[in-house]
Amino acid sequence: MKIVKTMMMELKNSWRGYGLFILVVILLIGGFTQAFPAFSEAFEDELDGSENIEVDVVEDGGGVIVRLSWVEIDDAENYTLLVGASPQMIVPIDRVDGIQEMHYEYYTPYDEDGSMPETYFAVVAVSGEERENEFVGMETNIDRRSPLEELWGMDYGDIQGFISVLWDMWWFLLIGLYVGYISVNSVSKDFEEDRMDILLSKPISRKQYLLEKFSLVAGYTLFLMIIAGLVLIGSVYSVGELGNVTSSALVLSAVLSWPVFLVIIAFSILAAVYLEDSKKAMGLSFIFILVEFGIHLVGDISDSLKHVRPYTIISYWDHEAALYGEAISLVDVGFLIVIAVVIFVVTLKLFERKDIPT
Amino acid sequence: MKKKPVLKIRNLTKLYGDIVGIKNLDLDVYPGEIMGFLGPNGAGKTTTIRACLGLLQKTEGDVKIFGLDSHEDSIEIRKRTGYLPGDFGLYDDLKVKTILKYLLSQSGVSDESKMRELSERLELDLDRKYGNLSKGNRQKVGIVQAFMADQDFIILDEPTGGLDPLMQQKFYQFLKEEKEKGKTIFMSSHILAEVEEVCDRVAIIRKGKLQVVEDIGSLKEKMGKKLVVEFDDGVDPSMFDLDGVQDVQIDGRIATMIVTSNLDEVIKRISKNDIVNMSLETFSLDQLFLTYYREGGSG
Ligand SMILES: Nc1ncnc2c1ncn2[C@@H]1O[C@H](COP(=O)(O)OP(=O)(O)OP(=O)(O)O)[C@@H](O)[C@H]1O
Ligand SMILES: [Mg+2]
Repeated sequence: MKIVKTMMMELKNSWRGYGLFILVVILLIGGFTQAFPAFSEAFEDELDGSENIEVDVVEDGGGVIVRLSWVEIDDAENYTLLVGASPQMIVPIDRVDGIQEMHYEYYTPYDEDGSMPETYFAVVAVSGEERENEFVGMETNIDRRSPLEELWGMDYGDIQGFISVLWDMWWFLLIGLYVGYISVNSVSKDFEEDRMDILLSKPISRKQYLLEKFSLVAGYTLFLMIIAGLVLIGSVYSVGELGNVTSSALVLSAVLSWPVFLVIIAFSILAAVYLEDSKKAMGLSFIFILVEFGIHLVGDISDSLKHVRPYTIISYWDHEAALYGEAISLVDVGFLIVIAVVIFVVTLKLFERKDIPT
Repeated sequence: MKKKPVLKIRNLTKLYGDIVGIKNLDLDVYPGEIMGFLGPNGAGKTTTIRACLGLLQKTEGDVKIFGLDSHEDSIEIRKRTGYLPGDFGLYDDLKVKTILKYLLSQSGVSDESKMRELSERLELDLDRKYGNLSKGNRQKVGIVQAFMADQDFIILDEPTGGLDPLMQQKFYQFLKEEKEKGKTIFMSSHILAEVEEVCDRVAIIRKGKLQVVEDIGSLKEKMGKKLVVEFDDGVDPSMFDLDGVQDVQIDGRIATMIVTSNLDEVIKRISKNDIVNMSLETFSLDQLFLTYYREGGSG
């Protein structure tokens, strides 16, 4: 009962902040997902008429042979192939007229540095006395992937990949920093505002005191995760993608981040108990969060750096498995919970031996 | 009064690193009494109180409250003990009522009658935001929270700080009534008149060491007299080497001392010199305390 009273008290004292942040989460999730259609279109930014042309690239010593074949156009007498360095092809670098067949092999030498030059091909059908031109289509010899895709080596074209960006890039930092902030404050403010003496003179053990603080923030965080999951369902539905991912997968991917934040809550409370001062404790908590995020970024840059991944708690949150409906690693979840519990126990030992400052 | 003590402190020592907070303190507070705890700034009053409540880790010694160990059974002790810190804060954005109800619930008590009664007596508005209260009114909130769970033992660290004289009187009256109801109270103070008015006994602490524990009544009886003599010539201090003569101070031709006994012999000795002026005055309790406060004072 006392714990409920304490939670009510904490809510009465800081409901504005808590409420405001729920709003932030709703806006972030809702807004982010709304960007999916435009985003995915940009990814699938196909060249005009590329469906009419097939390309096949064959290595050939000092260069590549680009084998092009295209659909037949009625009434076409022959075809013209334009070659350019960009899709705009304002100034073609080459032009082949009078192709009779519906295929052509174009030879491109390698660049000076030995790489394949990015080349674009446009096919135009020529017909009739007037030599009328009809655009058939355009293609290129390279793989068109977005810079983001190149960087992360992931496929963000689908809704799952897109939501993963949300979790990876935004969720951890936003929620992590906020949860760190309220965790630190929940304890530091009792020190700073000189409430600790009165609070701990009541028949409450220090263990219970810490448990109350931890439960409050943990409960609020879980609530945020569930809200996020529900908003996500609505938002994914509104962009017409709910057919491609299940509602439960969406909620699960959000809720699975909870254990990650439990570690952050435990660490932040430890910082607050140890340092007492809210600014210092918040500094330490934020450094922890940013370092974890930094390791996460580094670990994702390339396979050669993936050995750093175990050192960030973010790695133990498998939102992709959740989103794609694959099996969740309970070992990972358990690992995070064990870390949080260990930090909590250390905090308790520290707190129990502590002189309460005046 | 020789029942089992409610508070029993033995050999209590608290060091803050190299700084001595209190050293080898022994003290008993018996049921139904109001024990005053006096001492100059930095003497160790707050340290003693907070070590008893487990807010500070004691360096050495033993504290028992209701016969329970202050460390092992601290929860049980805190169920039965109210505490007003010397310096405290609460939730600035919340109403006094909300705060008090919460603190009451933390004590596991649901009966709000004492909270309301005492607030009314002290003219504390429960509907105001704590952060908007004046210093004195905040102190009232502290007092109410210390007493509202109606516990048997109350520890107060400078309870009247910030209260106006009228409020102080109301509070003293309340303390006496609580005592009548059988409550035990241990309170630190700087106000001698307050101690004289409400306390049965007083413990005086200086530089972390207990100087004296005494009945207010017998203290008054034992009070010495302050003797000031102005001689015509220089004085030989050794002439005051007598039992019952303390704190001899010679300032040129003027000698000041405190005489608790042997007054007759003192007068005989000084009359052998030429005396210009002489005064003999009875100590007020204030002055008595000052002798304990000062360097070298002892019981
Ligand atoms: N946290 C602390 N760290 C170091 N020294 C401390 C600490 N708290 C108290 N002290 C020292 O311990 C001694 C006793 O202090 P304490 O606060 O108990 O005195 P007090 O009798 O309550 O004084 P006051 O009448 O000013 O309230 C002082 O010398 C003080 O400087
Ligand atoms: Mg003090």
